[in-house]
Amino acid sequence: MSAMLLHKEKWSEFTGKLSGKNLWAPVVQGEMKKFAPVAEGDPVNLEEGNTTVPPKALLFPQTETLYRFSAGGEELELPEADEEIILLGVRPCDARAIALVENLFRWDFDDPYYLKRRELTTLIGLACNEPELNCFCPSVGGSPASTEGLDILLTDLGESYLLETITDKGKALAEECKDLLEEAPAGAVEQKEKLAQDALGKIKWSVDPEGIPEALPQLWEDPLWGRVSAPCLGCGICTYLCPTCYCFDIQDEIEGSAGRRCRMWDSCMFAEYTKHTSGHNPRPTRRERTRNRINHKYSYFVDKFGVIACVGCGRCSTLCPVNIDLIDILRQVKAAQ
Amino acid sequence: MDLNQLRKVAAEVVSRDDVKYLIGWRRGTFGYRVAPYFVEDAAGVDELIFSPLCISNLATYLTLVEKLPVPRGQEPDKRKVALLVKGCDSRAVAQLLVEKGVKREEIVVVGLPCPGMIDRDLLAEKYPETDKAAELRWNGEDFLLVGEGEDIVIPRAEVLAEKCRLCRHPNPVLSDITVGEPVKPWAAADDSGVAEIEAKGAAERWDYWEEQFSKCVRCYSCKSACPLCYCEDCILDRLDPIWVNRAVNFSENTAFHLARAFHLAGRCVECGECERVCPAGIPLGKLNRKLAQTVREEYGFEPGLDPEAEPFQASYKPDDPEEFIL
Repeated sequence: MSAMLLHKEKWSEFTGKLSGKNLWAPVVQGEMKKFAPVAEGDPVNLEEGNTTVPPKALLFPQTETLYRFSAGGEELELPEADEEIILLGVRPCDARAIALVENLFRWDFDDPYYLKRRELTTLIGLACNEPELNCFCPSVGGSPASTEGLDILLTDLGESYLLETITDKGKALAEECKDLLEEAPAGAVEQKEKLAQDALGKIKWSVDPEGIPEALPQLWEDPLWGRVSAPCLGCGICTYLCPTCYCFDIQDEIEGSAGRRCRMWDSCMFAEYTKHTSGHNPRPTRRERTRNRINHKYSYFVDKFGVIACVGCGRCSTLCPVNIDLIDILRQVKAAQ
Repeated sequence: MDLNQLRKVAAEVVSRDDVKYLIGWRRGTFGYRVAPYFVEDAAGVDELIFSPLCISNLATYLTLVEKLPVPRGQEPDKRKVALLVKGCDSRAVAQLLVEKGVKREEIVVVGLPCPGMIDRDLLAEKYPETDKAAELRWNGEDFLLVGEGEDIVIPRAEVLAEKCRLCRHPNPVLSDITVGEPVKPWAAADDSGVAEIEAKGAAERWDYWEEQFSKCVRCYSCKSACPLCYCEDCILDRLDPIWVNRAVNFSENTAFHLARAFHLAGRCVECGECERVCPAGIPLGKLNRKLAQTVREEYGFEPGLDPEAEPFQASYKPDDPEEFIL
């Protein structure tokens, strides 16, 4: 890992240079914050915290074409090849989520769509000097300056950004921008470490996940599930906007004699998700669906890949319209143990 | 609002043999959050609150309940569900009764005259949320943020929710028990949100909604939170045929939102839940209020005022002039 300095007066030149390489960064659109393409001269908003829609949407689009077909056609037509993309201003939790989700897409089958896109993506992170209200990344193995999943990490030092390259991909990109960078002066890395340490101290919520993966299967019929799921409306906010949720459905869209097979986000919080053609639903109520959401993140994924599928970004708790709070659920799990 | 009186009434209601539980609100886990709260026994009433943050419409839960099949030889639980309602919430209950979505004998309605609710986002812009659950109270016309040190008076106009500015029915239109004195209805503000869109030209309006609907992630929180979106078999979930593609793009998103809006015409009680819960900030209230306005002005009908009313879209008059039919 090497450290360089990017002066803020060079910022627009820096983003201008990257904008020629399909640059996406957080933009604010009313109440919604999301990653959008940035053209030269467009402002990049790094002030706000996490985007409403996590950057997973760029690697795992909400709807993607797997192939096109037509009646009588002999050949399946593959979608146009993706292009290289640079994501700027990715928060460390969201980058970690991308690294975790990769486990799934490399599991029993190498998913060519996801992995190709992953290969074409360069992630430039931004350390969180000011964590948000519901952040709890340290509880689940992250940190406000975690580099996991990132190619480059930026840290706001006030007048400048400290730019640390993490991977070869990151190094290559920094090399292309070297005219805009200078050697990090002595003390810059220490300053960054101090900021990261201070950021840890600003995080309000914590829960010790020790024992939770083992406890969850034992609490299958515990009354806590009825309690925590009672207010649930059964919408898809907590899953669609979760950076580590990756469930999808595959459907065909047909118009006339041609169509496409596509993959789209699905949510285990929807009743339809597990509904059988017979009409039977093995997860008949929001109690079972809420239990599944927590079990998947804090137990099944751990069994399979050895890591909790939650990065502590706090989106589910912040965005839930009825105050279903993940920390509250985890604390109830620990108490019921 | 005298919380002791509310809790006393609630304790009496949940102690009744024919009542399963009472749905109210309790303080949330942080900031300005309030959580729907299911009280099953008298011991639970101490956590019940009614504050200017209790904006959510609990009538949604009447149709949201998912009943498991009753095992052979067992009787279904026929006890009533009790719930707290503000003026707008009571209109949702009335409309559900009109549509026979809920039967009168299945519910106990505890009415709460409502002095107006706070828009949490407006409040948080001025006084950011913290990890502590804040307490808000009514303070004459205004609101009071109860602080650890000094209380802060927040002028009503600064944070009053849009639906409350436009509210014509702050007192419950029906209830079995009312807690608190009726409030004096205030003059409903002009619907500037709808007027603003009406003032746009067709192309500009299209652009506006294109921008809005393009933000939709189809989480369906609007339809989940809507007390009157309760079809057991929703066209959105149909797979054969697929009426609205699951694909998320402007075209399909628009089909979804327009289908929902049309299905709510003459039924929407303007409780504002769709817009409140939307994570993308799509102004769905404007869409639904426009339809409600049309029904009110063209047909002189306002849903959710009379539980005995004929359902608007299902009523027929032999002497209807039908002037629009050529």
